[in-house]
Amino acid sequence: MEQLLLPAIDWLAVLPVGLTSILGLVLLALGLFVDDDETLGWITLIGLAVTAVATACLAGQKSITFNGTFALDAYALFFDLLFLVAGIVVVLMSMTYLEGTGIPSGDYYGLLAFAIAGMIVMASATDLIVVFLGLEIMSISVYVLAGAWRTQLRSNEAAMKYFLLGAFATGFLLYGIALVYGATGAFRLDRIATAVGDTPNRTMLIAGVAMLIIAFGFKVAAVPFHMWTPDVYEGAPTTVTALMAVAVKAAGFAAFVRVFLHGFGGLHADWSMLLWVIAALTMTVGNVLALAQRNVKRMLAYSSIAHAGYILVALVASGAAGGTAALFYLLVYSFMTLGAFGVVAALGSVGEPNETLDDYAGIGFRRPLLGVTMTIFMLSLTGIPPLAGFAGKFYVFTAAIREGYYVLAVIGVLNSAISSAYYVRVLIAMYLTPGAEEHGRVARQPYLLTSIVVSAVMTVVVGVFPALWMQLARFGFLSL
Amino acid sequence: MPGVPLQHVLLVGLVLFALGLYTVLTRRNAIGILMGIELLLNAANVNYVAFARYSGAPTDGQIFAIFVVMLAAAEAAVGLAIVLGIYRNFESIDVDATHALRH
Amino acid sequence: MSLSVALFYAFAAFTVISAAGVAFSRNIVYSAFALLGTLFGVAALYVFLGADFVAGAQFLIYIGGVLVLILFAVMLTHRIADGAVSNRAAGGPAALVAVGLVAAVLGRALFKARWPVVDVLADGPTTHAIGDGFLGRYVLPFELASFVLLAVLVGAIVVSRKELRS
Repeated sequence: MEQLLLPAIDWLAVLPVGLTSILGLVLLALGLFVDDDETLGWITLIGLAVTAVATACLAGQKSITFNGTFALDAYALFFDLLFLVAGIVVVLMSMTYLEGTGIPSGDYYGLLAFAIAGMIVMASATDLIVVFLGLEIMSISVYVLAGAWRTQLRSNEAAMKYFLLGAFATGFLLYGIALVYGATGAFRLDRIATAVGDTPNRTMLIAGVAMLIIAFGFKVAAVPFHMWTPDVYEGAPTTVTALMAVAVKAAGFAAFVRVFLHGFGGLHADWSMLLWVIAALTMTVGNVLALAQRNVKRMLAYSSIAHAGYILVALVASGAAGGTAALFYLLVYSFMTLGAFGVVAALGSVGEPNETLDDYAGIGFRRPLLGVTMTIFMLSLTGIPPLAGFAGKFYVFTAAIREGYYVLAVIGVLNSAISSAYYVRVLIAMYLTPGAEEHGRVARQPYLLTSIVVSAVMTVVVGVFPALWMQLARFGFLSL
Repeated sequence: MPGVPLQHVLLVGLVLFALGLYTVLTRRNAIGILMGIELLLNAANVNYVAFARYSGAPTDGQIFAIFVVMLAAAEAAVGLAIVLGIYRNFESIDVDATHALRH
Repeated sequence: MSLSVALFYAFAAFTVISAAGVAFSRNIVYSAFALLGTLFGVAALYVFLGADFVAGAQFLIYIGGVLVLILFAVMLTHRIADGAVSNRAAGGPAALVAVGLVAAVLGRALFKARWPVVDVLADGPTTHAIGDGFLGRYVLPFELASFVLLAVLVGAIVVSRKELRS
């Protein structure tokens, strides 16, 4: 009898993903018996919160397990917590939003937990096979979530478009990994990093890296791979849109940064040129197209494209400053975007999405809480101090300048100026445009409003005290 | 295999990839696009197996190839479920005919 | 040129021609059957490349599962009789340029590349090594793959359930 050699396993490393996937299974099973949406929502909240606490307790641990393919380090923990907190906020939003849509809660929350488990795998993966599988766990769950509101045609269509483009991107990812494997003979990032220097097949390696840029470009919605974003973000249920704009994008960047700065760090001179162009395009196209939108949800979709561009600037800058700025920006971006989509969700109701600028007329006075919080989110997205968005942009552009990317920094700053036009337009609509008279009583939305307030508070807190959060981002990045 | 240079095997993969890309870019039928995606995945797989064969350590590449086959089945299942759902609602799976969203 | 080499090129040509059928056929049913040819041809290439287990998986999963699924979907969504409009294609020339560009770049990378030639391993059965890999070095990807399949099962059921709750 031969002995089967299992690799040594550090079970702590898989604790976050293990807990999240168990939560998903429990929710799917409970969905069959528990009819009360609110109970299921609370179970999800508690499950995610427990996982977040357990994950936070792992701080300071550092190990690499499963034969060098799965890492437990501050970088993974930073992203795990980001996904879990974003998940908690999205669940809070959903507990109000799902009412009356007929979306089965058990399935919805279960798939949400699966998606988060996939993201956690992506953040920890130090092997291209594991990156790929984590990406698929996340993507497949989100394809289904985007189409969860099956009686809405636009939700169906969003699911189909997201699926087709996502599967297309997977094709690029797999072909790219194949070329990298051919050139370096490895899937593990550390082995790739050592092989990068002396491969005889440099051209093939770079072709593979370019393919991976395309694949990740689709996932983080970078121009010119952004075509799917507006339609999918507009069509999906608003809570799922928030998840896609924040957590899915963050997961894409988590894998992107680890693979490129760790695995392909030696090729920075080659890929940074390509990313330079993509970053400039992403910022500019995202912001300019956002100017033309009358639908706020769609405008936020273009805005999320533009913000991916700012994060790419940090990635181009690379180095400790750039990497830290990218992580910090993702944190900042997450809260302000979650909040903005929360407001969009709060103003809509089943059958009446109320997403155009006209629908926002006078909201600032009719629903003061939404008005104030939306003002915070819009100003933060523009980058007005002392809100978080300003700190994020400050660190990103400083990193770019420090590494000598002056032109890119200038393009970024100009884009910030352009973006103020459409963010401020929302404020004008809310406060300066006379709105229609109150029609009917406003529904009570306790959970949704909680999620919005939490996001707003975080946007202010991170903006006023950026040092602490910056420190977290630095710990995270330096543990790579 | 002896007698066939690696380049020729990879060329098969490259042609499959190009044809898959063309299919995805030009088809307007969701299932047609899905077939193009299957071509892309097969192109990648030919490469994995070829590199594995010529690298002297065949297991790694072949195992990845099996994961890709698994994924193809997974994506086909979810994708076709979504497409059939659309068909029930729209009576069409032409990606331009679904007009709920602006282009 | 030995017989096996000739056979290899024959299968390679068959694969590529079938794939062209998938890409250019005006009728989606023909496209689906052309895909059968491609998948079969690729499986044959795997055999030549010493990957017997992958070839088996290709047959069972791809041809037995995926292709049947695709054919089902084609039949369910199309009135087969009017094949003329069933596989509309658009933007041909632009796509051709884009594809040509990508293929040219990749082709250049491919032919400039040099590989250390470590030929020739004796082709033996690979199943044992792959099984060991799945339960040894690749146990994490193996478990994650099962997770992917679980998500797919749940997802497909969620999408195709008939009624939403009222």
